[in-house]
Amino acid sequence: MPTASIEGNRETRPAKHRLDELKADLKPRMREWKRSWILMRRNWTAMAGLVMVGAIVLIALAAPLLAPPQGSRDPMEIPADLMFPKPPFQEGVPILGTGDNGIDIYYGIVWGARTTVATSLIVVLTAALIGLVLGAIAGYYGGKVDEALMRFTDIFLSMPALILAMAIAAILSRSLENMMLALIIVWWPGYARLIRGQVLSIRESSYVEAARAIGAKRNRILFRHIVPNSISPLIVSITLDLGAVALTAASLSYIGFGVQPGYAEWGRMISDGQDWFMSIVYYNGVAYTPWWVILFPGMMILMFAMGCSLIGDGLRDVLDPRSRR
Amino acid sequence: MRLARYIIRRLLLMIPVLIGISLIVFMLTRVAGDPAAAYINEKMTPAQIEQVRENYHLNDPIWTQYWYWLDGVVHGDWGWSRTAAMPVTSAIAYYLPATFELAVVATLITVTAGIWLGTRSAVKKDRPFDHGTRILSLIGVSLPVFLLGLLLLWVFYSQLDIFPDGGRVSESFIVANAVPEGLTGLYLVDSLLVGNLSLFSDVLWHLALPALTLSMAGLAVVLRIQRSSMLEVLGQDYVRTARAKGLDERAVINVHARRNALIPTTTVVGLVFGGLLGGAVLTESIFRWPGLGKWSASSIGRMDTASILGFCMLAAFIYVLVNLIVDVVYAYLDPRVRLG
Repeated sequence: MPTASIEGNRETRPAKHRLDELKADLKPRMREWKRSWILMRRNWTAMAGLVMVGAIVLIALAAPLLAPPQGSRDPMEIPADLMFPKPPFQEGVPILGTGDNGIDIYYGIVWGARTTVATSLIVVLTAALIGLVLGAIAGYYGGKVDEALMRFTDIFLSMPALILAMAIAAILSRSLENMMLALIIVWWPGYARLIRGQVLSIRESSYVEAARAIGAKRNRILFRHIVPNSISPLIVSITLDLGAVALTAASLSYIGFGVQPGYAEWGRMISDGQDWFMSIVYYNGVAYTPWWVILFPGMMILMFAMGCSLIGDGLRDVLDPRSRR
Repeated sequence: MRLARYIIRRLLLMIPVLIGISLIVFMLTRVAGDPAAAYINEKMTPAQIEQVRENYHLNDPIWTQYWYWLDGVVHGDWGWSRTAAMPVTSAIAYYLPATFELAVVATLITVTAGIWLGTRSAVKKDRPFDHGTRILSLIGVSLPVFLLGLLLLWVFYSQLDIFPDGGRVSESFIVANAVPEGLTGLYLVDSLLVGNLSLFSDVLWHLALPALTLSMAGLAVVLRIQRSSMLEVLGQDYVRTARAKGLDERAVINVHARRNALIPTTTVVGLVFGGLLGGAVLTESIFRWPGLGKWSASSIGRMDTASILGFCMLAAFIYVLVNLIVDVVYAYLDPRVRLG
């Protein structure tokens, strides 16, 4: 959304003009955001996605209330009664049953929401920030910088995500932070490419030419005009990637990277519990196949990924300029 | 011939990418503790280990090390796999056929079912079939591969007992020495070569669940792309012309619309294959499929970095190659690409 503003040297513009400038920018922007929200509301699948993801975020935030940690233990360590899995919805058993080593499934779900939401947010936002800065600089300044970035991202993008994440995670020590680091390294090149492409196409528009013509400096044009107008595909990408990163992180935890057994993470809970899945346990004389060990954490992963996907698709339709008027 | 020139150009562009990948893997090997560990097996004496360091120039500056490492890689020395108790290259050769077979069958399912469902879904837009496939597509991309595998195992093996719980062939064939050795290693092909039809159907029976698991994520993506591309094509003028000419609707769809809709879909196939390589690690662990994926999954448990990095480098090379093939097919289908 191009907006009119007073260009020129930062030092020579009085503070009042800068404040007016900011206000002149915000009003039309907020109008557009409001319009985006109205359009989104009409898309019921996107709203359903919002509800799903919103519920999980709420669970993550309210974790200490929903499943109070026992005593001074690390809250991320799931309390375990060290017995075989017990079925859910029974007397004397935690509400969603217990899993491998007797871990409390309900507790794992609640605190695992924290792990998933935090991991996805940290990885995607960090990768997007790195990609945004590098891509914007490469796209705008062009030349050798651009070439170098293109070759560099080419190499990273030519390796499948899970494989590259595996390679990096394999050589670092096993921890959640290192898994996040591996995922950030895998994801940033995509954003750099995306922003670079956007910058390249916007660079030639008439309002950028106008800004150049009245003497705006390069950095100003880049961060004040070009970047804000490239944000739309970035937002869609970020939303979709939240789900993709959650899936990849769960897969990595399932294979054995990242967190230790017994940590509140949905992928880990599934990998710890899968051996029980094919066997039979007895409780109060009744035989069960411990389906709850896999299904509850699995459903949560599915819900989060599906929700992000639905929201992302909804955002993509809404932010497409052709369908907005 | 313009296509040949395009192929050569792409092949040349592939070289810097491959070198870049090798650089990344090389740097990872240096970061992963003692680089000599990749070439040592338990039986060596300290003097022999020191000799290994000499041979690989591990005491020299880093660029010399890279040169000798690269030289080793090109000549087939990728280190020693503790997990497989053989050199990494031998382990790859040993496990590759099983994974190749699984990947090919999964890709066949993905491509044929995805294109058919996507086409049909576009033709029957907004009808129940369309809604059904769109839900299927959504679940396909959101469901983790390992969860799908476990669920399929539980439903079709635990509960219904229709399919086996893993492996490539039934015990009875192994015991009876009926499994062909030394042929292609692809049991489907080998069983036909020796004319053992019951072995063929047994292998197919074992392939069903793993291939279905592996194919699902890719199927969802192909379905979506084919559907949206088909919708775009059906709105074009030449389709209207074909209908106005009085052509049977089936001919319009199958002969005129679908092949033009295939063009964006082929570009996606390369990406889908990349997902297949990662998915194979998960799928093979669940179904005890003796392939590259299971090998690398076991290596992870034992911190066998030589095997893991060897697998990752191989996967990256295969991915680059597949994308090259896909680009060439795309250039063949769409003349605008190679003339541009």
